[in-house]
Amino acid sequence: MQWTTLFKKEMVESWRNKKLIWLPLVMILLAIMDPISNYYMPQIIEAVGGLPDGATFELPDFTPAEVVMMSLSQFSTLGVLIVVLVSMGTIAGERKSGISELVLVKPVSYGNYITAKWAALLLLVWISFFLGMLASWYYINILYGDLSFGSFSRIIFFYGLWLMFVVTLSIFFNSMIKTSGLVAFFTIATIMLMRVVTEVFNHILEWSPNNLSNYILEMLLTESIPSNLIGTAIITIIITATLLIVSINTFKSKELAN
Amino acid sequence: MTLLTVKKLTKKYQDKPAINKVSFNLQQGKCIALIGPNGAGKTTMLRILAGLLKPTEGTVTFTDMQANDDIRKFIGYLPQYPVFYSWMTGFEFLVFSGQLAFISKVEAKKRAEELLKKVGIYDARNQRIGKYSGGMKQRLGIAQAIIHKPKLLLLDEPVSSLDPLGRREILLLIQELKQGMTILFSTHILSDADEVSDELLLLHQGEIVESGSLSKLREKHQTSVIKLEFKDNLDEYQSKVNKLRSVTDSYIEGNMLTITAINVSSARNEILMAAANENWELDSFTLDRASLEDVFMKVVNN
Amino acid sequence: MQELFESINWALITPLLVIQAILLLVALIDWAKEEETSGPKWMWFFIIVFVNIIGPVLYFIFGKRRD
Repeated sequence: MQWTTLFKKEMVESWRNKKLIWLPLVMILLAIMDPISNYYMPQIIEAVGGLPDGATFELPDFTPAEVVMMSLSQFSTLGVLIVVLVSMGTIAGERKSGISELVLVKPVSYGNYITAKWAALLLLVWISFFLGMLASWYYINILYGDLSFGSFSRIIFFYGLWLMFVVTLSIFFNSMIKTSGLVAFFTIATIMLMRVVTEVFNHILEWSPNNLSNYILEMLLTESIPSNLIGTAIITIIITATLLIVSINTFKSKELAN
Repeated sequence: MTLLTVKKLTKKYQDKPAINKVSFNLQQGKCIALIGPNGAGKTTMLRILAGLLKPTEGTVTFTDMQANDDIRKFIGYLPQYPVFYSWMTGFEFLVFSGQLAFISKVEAKKRAEELLKKVGIYDARNQRIGKYSGGMKQRLGIAQAIIHKPKLLLLDEPVSSLDPLGRREILLLIQELKQGMTILFSTHILSDADEVSDELLLLHQGEIVESGSLSKLREKHQTSVIKLEFKDNLDEYQSKVNKLRSVTDSYIEGNMLTITAINVSSARNEILMAAANENWELDSFTLDRASLEDVFMKVVNN
Repeated sequence: MQELFESINWALITPLLVIQAILLLVALIDWAKEEETSGPKWMWFFIIVFVNIIGPVLYFIFGKRRD
């Protein structure tokens, strides 16, 4: 009941500051940009003057799987950046401005406070991601060929886990740091560091959350769910849960008036 | 009946105590003023009582509190500069606050309506808080602090940022609230404390230097105040006065030399004698009951 | 250019343009309602209008005052 109050407040806030409108729109644009521009690439090249004489330009015929990966790679770069920027002040900003003082002086459980923020943010991100992928799926089916509903929903599920991880990481730094900019910096830095570490030690870190995209591609190519994908998904969920618990404890031990 | 017991409360920042081994009780139904100069530790103290800061040492307990109770349930708190969600309306914020304190939505709405009327911002209930003036925010702040009917209301400098009219109205409001709950409010303006409080806690450099009811404090300190007014050379006169036998202490404030003595009547005679013999350029001579200011200055100077 | 325009299936492109337009519009309406932005208000107008897609996003993330 207290949790619902906090959660509803977050959703109303997202609605009033238009996050609930613009984030889905931006995610849709990110998702359909590549499918459309790649499809029209020959015409675009033609229109800007064509290729020099003698040069030939063979555009590969993209498969639906490849195109869906283009959309995902947009989410992995710009998409993640925007998600981090959107979430950087969700707790840090409230503490900095002093609003949290009036909220937390009520008998609010710190667990409720953190998880309500987390859930509201995650819902916002998931809705945006889902709508974006839906639009991408629509274009892929028209322009490149069939991508089955099964594949589509598995992509949503597994890539959704990656976004959940990003959101949780941001909440984690939010619970520690009061400056929004630093929260964003540390979140991005951690994701980048994890990617490097995952690549260097790939033989040990097979189930690092950063590998989710790779296994999703493998899933699309082999048309089956690789066991590594399941393993990585489980690891991602475990890390997320741990981060959340640690966030709550960090926040509890903080002096809230400072 | 004792409502709240504070024992040996200490708060240190980098080993420097902001609050140093403070102990006191608050009696139920009283309005207590926490007074002290800026930097005395008033805000730190209130934040500890409100559960926003953790004390380095010491305890805060409510008399009928269970072992695991969350202290915040019993407390309403208004910070010195309350900040709200500017996108919410005043009404929405009160309902939100109420629900956070486990009041049902229906009840919270009902109380929000009542409180908005009580604090006098009912007409602005559906306006965004972003458009509220400072005084309106202060009223909304009081309303959110009492929506869950706390046993103890903590107000941090509730009137110091307001204009004279707003200050008057908030003081009246505090006087009215006094009927229903225990109030502890901090201020550095002594006349405000004088006006609405029953009891005082004098905080100086992190320690309670004096406490008690207003009349008791007056009684304790009143016998001994003589005020002399001079145009200049106050320092010179102060040293002269200090040499008199019955004078115990003195301090200068503007053109006023305030003197405390063991025995006022003999001090009066000694001063007037000296003034006549040495031809002091005395502008006025007043035998005064100690004002809160005098008590305060005396206590702080010791 | 003529050929490019003819060869494009507008039924496919229109949704893309419409979404961009909505994004621009939402940002502009919000901008107009906002009393104060972080940084000069007129500057945000140009950013929203002239920087495609990114402009409105920048405005929503950095232009609006948080509280």
